[in-house]
Amino acid sequence: MNVQPDLSRRAFFTALPAVTAGLAITAHAADEATPHWSMLIDTRRCIACQACTIACAMENVSPEGQFRTVVATYAVTDQAGKTGLAVLPRLCNHCDEPPCIPVCPVGATFKRKDGIVLVDGDRCVGCGYCVQACPYDARFVNHHTGKADKCTFCSHRVEAGLLPACVETCVGGARIFGDINDPQSDISRRLAAAEGKTRVLKPEAGTKPRVFYIGLEQQLDGRVDGASTADMMWRADNQGA
Amino acid sequence: MNTTVEVLGFAREPAWLPWAVQYFFLIGISTGAFFLSLPGLVWRHPDWRGVSRRALLAALVCGLTAPVALLADLHQPGRFLNFYLHPNLGSWMALGSFFIPLYLFGLIGYAWLCLRPQLADKAKQPSPIAGLYRRLAYGGHDNPSAIRAAAIAATLGAVLVLLYSGMEMMVVQARSLWNTAMLPLIFAITALTGGIGMTALFEALTGSRQSAALLNQWLARGVWATLVLLAAWLVLGLSGMSPATAEALAAMGSSFGWLATGVWLLGSTLFTLWMAVNYRNSLLMPALLALHGAWLIRWIVFIGGQSLPKMGSTSRSYYLILTPDSLLGIVGMAGLCLTLYIILTSLVPWDDKSSACGDPT
Repeated sequence: MNVQPDLSRRAFFTALPAVTAGLAITAHAADEATPHWSMLIDTRRCIACQACTIACAMENVSPEGQFRTVVATYAVTDQAGKTGLAVLPRLCNHCDEPPCIPVCPVGATFKRKDGIVLVDGDRCVGCGYCVQACPYDARFVNHHTGKADKCTFCSHRVEAGLLPACVETCVGGARIFGDINDPQSDISRRLAAAEGKTRVLKPEAGTKPRVFYIGLEQQLDGRVDGASTADMMWRADNQGA
Repeated sequence: MNTTVEVLGFAREPAWLPWAVQYFFLIGISTGAFFLSLPGLVWRHPDWRGVSRRALLAALVCGLTAPVALLADLHQPGRFLNFYLHPNLGSWMALGSFFIPLYLFGLIGYAWLCLRPQLADKAKQPSPIAGLYRRLAYGGHDNPSAIRAAAIAATLGAVLVLLYSGMEMMVVQARSLWNTAMLPLIFAITALTGGIGMTALFEALTGSRQSAALLNQWLARGVWATLVLLAAWLVLGLSGMSPATAEALAAMGSSFGWLATGVWLLGSTLFTLWMAVNYRNSLLMPALLALHGAWLIRWIVFIGGQSLPKMGSTSRSYYLILTPDSLLGIVGMAGLCLTLYIILTSLVPWDDKSSACGDPT
């Protein structure tokens, strides 16, 4: 039985200002060191295995036929007639100037201080305007929720200190995720090492994407003039699913 | 130049379904028809007296149906409340959510003021709902000043609806077919021709042909304007003056589907013009062609525009199927229009014999 309850209470109140000050200082320091999450994709390491596509779908329970990330795959033939494989892993670019935000009629799409662009599911009305505005075809209206859906950089995992599911599962280590505000982070060092050799998708759109590519051919950074065999490939809507 | 074959491509399905086409079609027609009601009911021009009454009916039928399609497109209609609880006024769609009620309440008020004398007449006739007519008539006075004021409010709403519905799409840089200054103009002009078409259809249903020449004259002018705007769009794209239009034309490329669509659009538009010019006393055929043209433009822009790939080479074609958000939705909207037409024509006479504001008798 505790015979000195007042002592512990007094001790608590005595320590309270110090605890409060300590928390405030920590919070301020943390604010200054807010990360800016980004992704670097080294297409030279990607083998188009779609493990990222599946890992993302399982982690985020995407409806059948709807993907937050995909790896588009191309057969590219050069002028000498030599044909090779080219890949383009695609996901939300978490742009610094996201065109999806100003069009949203209810302000459901927002960009966090840490650079991640998210959708407030409680506010989203499922109008699909952001889907139209995204130049990267990264958004869709989720068949299950009837609301806008997209890559979140697996923010729930990042907040728990984990990597996004696609990064975690990539067998070739093609996806590098990290804080570009931290010069010592792996992504910052790799970006610095590849300075001048990195590209973003559709730079002319002025969206300032935060997903960078190494080894991406300019011809593939937007709409691609060329044939598509997609109609011969698997699709949910032509399999009677 | 390297050549590519997209071995594994991904294209999103359209996010704006036929509901959106129906909404833009109906609200456009409503505004177009509303403008046609002004000469007879506000300015009391004798040539327009009868046809303006049918135009008002068309504006009401389409205007009251249109928001239903819009709500259906939200998957859960109650979500519309968020437009007013959390408006982002930098978005044209958010602005539209305020312009639509401005127009519709203005239109309903304007229609009520115009119909009051008729409602009073109906109240005098023996009927089980004579009391309802009496209350709706609210004295039954023909008040030109009040009608003018309501018409100004509704005109403001109609102009803003036409503005927002064009701008909403024009500002989307990611859609090359939409990102052109021609689009709001084309939508506005085809809204007017669609309004003429629906008015002419209602005129044909009443059996009156007196205004056929007048309607066909304005239809021909509207179709000419549409052709000029389409030609301007094409020139801007081919010359490269509009990079977005050039991109849209490049994306259409050598697609036989797009070629057939273009031929169909041009051919049907020219046929509409030919009918309006050469069969000036014909109502039904020009009316149906005008409605077809207004709908076709919106279908091509909405559904076709979403099929052009943003990334990669894969396009996603849309097929009408028997689901509520596809073919059944279109049929449902037509059914709702028909229901409203039956209700409104049952409650209030809209033919030339009935007395209403604008009628000097």
